[in-house]
Amino acid sequence: MRWIAMTAVTLAVLAQGAQAEETFRFTAIPDEDQSRLIERFSKVANYLEDRLDVEVEYVPVKSYGAAVTAFRNDQVQLAWFGGLSGVQARRLVPDSRALAQGQEDAEFQSYFIAHRSTDLEPADELPEAIADKSFTFGAKTSTSGRLMPEHFLRQRFDEAPEDVFSRVGFSGDHSRTIALVESGTYELGAVNYSVWEAAVEDGRVDTDTVEVIWSTPSYPDYQWTIRGDADERYGDGFSERVQQALLEMDDPALLESFPRSAFIPADNSMYAPIEEVAESLGLLR
Amino acid sequence: MSLSAALPQRPRWFGGDALGPRLARHTLTLVALALLLLPLADLAVVTRDPWAEIARLAQGLAWPAWGAVETPLHALGLTIAVALWGTLAGVVLGFPLALLFARSRLVRAGCAFVRAIHELFWALLFLQVFGLSALTALAALAIPYAGIFAKVYAEILEETPRAPADALPLGVSRLVRFVYSELPLAWPRIAAYTRYRFECGLRASVLLGFVGLPTLGFQLETAFREGRYHEAGALLWLFYLLIASLPWWSQRRLVPVLLIGGAFLLGPWPAINGGLLWRFISQDIWPRPLLEGDWAGLLAWLAEVPDLAPAIGNTLLLGLLGTVGSLLVALVMWPLASRHFGNRATRLAGSGVLVFLRSTPELLLAFIFLLLLGPSMLPAWLALALHNGALIAFLVARHADSLTPGMAQLPASGRLAYELLPRVYPSLLALLYYRAEVILRETAILGMLGVATLGYYIDENFQYLMFDIAFLLLLVTAMLNIGVDALSRRFRPREAPLDVPGG
Repeated sequence: MRWIAMTAVTLAVLAQGAQAEETFRFTAIPDEDQSRLIERFSKVANYLEDRLDVEVEYVPVKSYGAAVTAFRNDQVQLAWFGGLSGVQARRLVPDSRALAQGQEDAEFQSYFIAHRSTDLEPADELPEAIADKSFTFGAKTSTSGRLMPEHFLRQRFDEAPEDVFSRVGFSGDHSRTIALVESGTYELGAVNYSVWEAAVEDGRVDTDTVEVIWSTPSYPDYQWTIRGDADERYGDGFSERVQQALLEMDDPALLESFPRSAFIPADNSMYAPIEEVAESLGLLR
Repeated sequence: MSLSAALPQRPRWFGGDALGPRLARHTLTLVALALLLLPLADLAVVTRDPWAEIARLAQGLAWPAWGAVETPLHALGLTIAVALWGTLAGVVLGFPLALLFARSRLVRAGCAFVRAIHELFWALLFLQVFGLSALTALAALAIPYAGIFAKVYAEILEETPRAPADALPLGVSRLVRFVYSELPLAWPRIAAYTRYRFECGLRASVLLGFVGLPTLGFQLETAFREGRYHEAGALLWLFYLLIASLPWWSQRRLVPVLLIGGAFLLGPWPAINGGLLWRFISQDIWPRPLLEGDWAGLLAWLAEVPDLAPAIGNTLLLGLLGTVGSLLVALVMWPLASRHFGNRATRLAGSGVLVFLRSTPELLLAFIFLLLLGPSMLPAWLALALHNGALIAFLVARHADSLTPGMAQLPASGRLAYELLPRVYPSLLALLYYRAEVILRETAILGMLGVATLGYYIDENFQYLMFDIAFLLLLVTAMLNIGVDALSRRFRPREAPLDVPGG
């Protein structure tokens, strides 16, 4: 046991030495189209490098869980999180804070979509008739694909989704939710509104077969979060400079990677509703 | 003697201790058990209009978009490098353990434990500490492989003939005896098994991309998940070509070149943080009430754990169905790729189908069946059966190719039924029993279908960052796997020649 600890300590010391010139690292997972991540986000890294005068590197990750872990373990210092993953991350890293959100994120929405065989019509309230049909969420820790849809479902039916529907699945992705409902594999699904609208615009979805039957009330979603120790390590006021750089990002080529039209200021308190919902669903503790 | 000679014995179907009837009994029991439990499985079929999506998928495979893949050569190189170094590290760790395997119960138990956890879950564990780094990837392969190598090498060494060792003069040291009389005899089989394991390593290395390590699987999973099938098609073809061309580039002489070249691709190396490591193993994976000695709190914590009984039931049921399905698939498919049947063209096609099925990630197969058949346990079952059945069929075909039929004048059907099948069946069943454990581990990664196996909950709790629950479920899974492994070892036909590697 002792030699394991010794080795760990030695390696840690060596690693500290190797990390002398500190690179500022960030990660981001866009809510749609995760192709060519490195190419696209390296441009964002270059932009931040110009503005911040430190070396900036983009770290590609696969899932929100991996992003939170990287943030917690200080493998990245800045991250573009979803609503829920941001809350998870800020709970794990003391003094970390939300800096900015997308213009669209202040009033984000989820759509409930249905296959035409259900004969459901768009309505202002979730129709009673969705009960006992099959239903798919997106990824398990997605705010727009799981957390908020489940919250509104429980509000409407006062029951867990498993009791409302005949079958509940987790497709793992918004695009796949659309594909599964379009093919009738699941009769209903909940999807991020911006992914849906992009898919409709590009003609990737047949709106005769699947349509939106309800949109949720709005809630806050994606945001940039920075670690609490950033100022200490990169110089006083560093977090403010990062925030400024994000807010002033106006090159459409950079913004479309997220995809957002612009970034606006955000703070931790804006995400209190998300935190509450996550706690009540047992996704946070 | 006198009595049994006098009274003609009633013919005993499947009775007796001879190998044939015994294997037949095993097979029929397995099939009967599967049929008996079938009503418990959720096998609903819901089909509406899957064809648009299937057509998009097929188009993607037929017209791969090579240009859309970001740095394909790096991903390909890294996939090979991780597989090669991971396997090598597994050998280095596993070989000494193999020598202790027969003598130490602790070593046997330890090896059974590390093998019982899927590579992906090892990766998820190391990810928490080492981040997305080469160390996570290598450790995720090397640790379970060390357990597998220890077991298989030990079995191979155990089966080497004793005569050469007995012929050595008295007083020769243990080391000399090992180097001169045991190792040379076991070497060809050890080498063959290591090669086979390397191929498994390649597939596992691709899978590691699914949790975020930048191997081929990274882009494959995203492209496929987001429905960019032309890009996914390009990546899949790349992977098929990699597996199909294995015999050409995995030459012994090329291995050092690949190893050295691969070493440059491996990276990034993590800054190992002792504090993180310690926090993870001393706190993250244990329930907080337990660490605080709060027993009432521990009960509340236990209530948070997903219901174990249905999860274990689903895991075992899917494992059993997958195993029996693999048996049937293997029985039907192995002749397709064997030199004893058909002509050049059919064999080429047969081998192609087998390469396709055994190299296609189960997740992809499962998704196609999910579209076709709707959400239930059925897509998962079919995916497991086809993938593993094709793998066994391929190994059995290779085994059959090494046999010379004694009754060459028989027509093909007779050769199959009366000679080749009886000769390869013991090893087919042995492979199946080895594979049962793997199938059980693989039920884990089919959570997308909403089949609530143990693996489904493990994955879920990793995503919720509730490592304590994930760890508990991992322990349960490991125990289950160890149990199934012990069972399959007990029933594995001992007479089966082990030249055909399994596992």
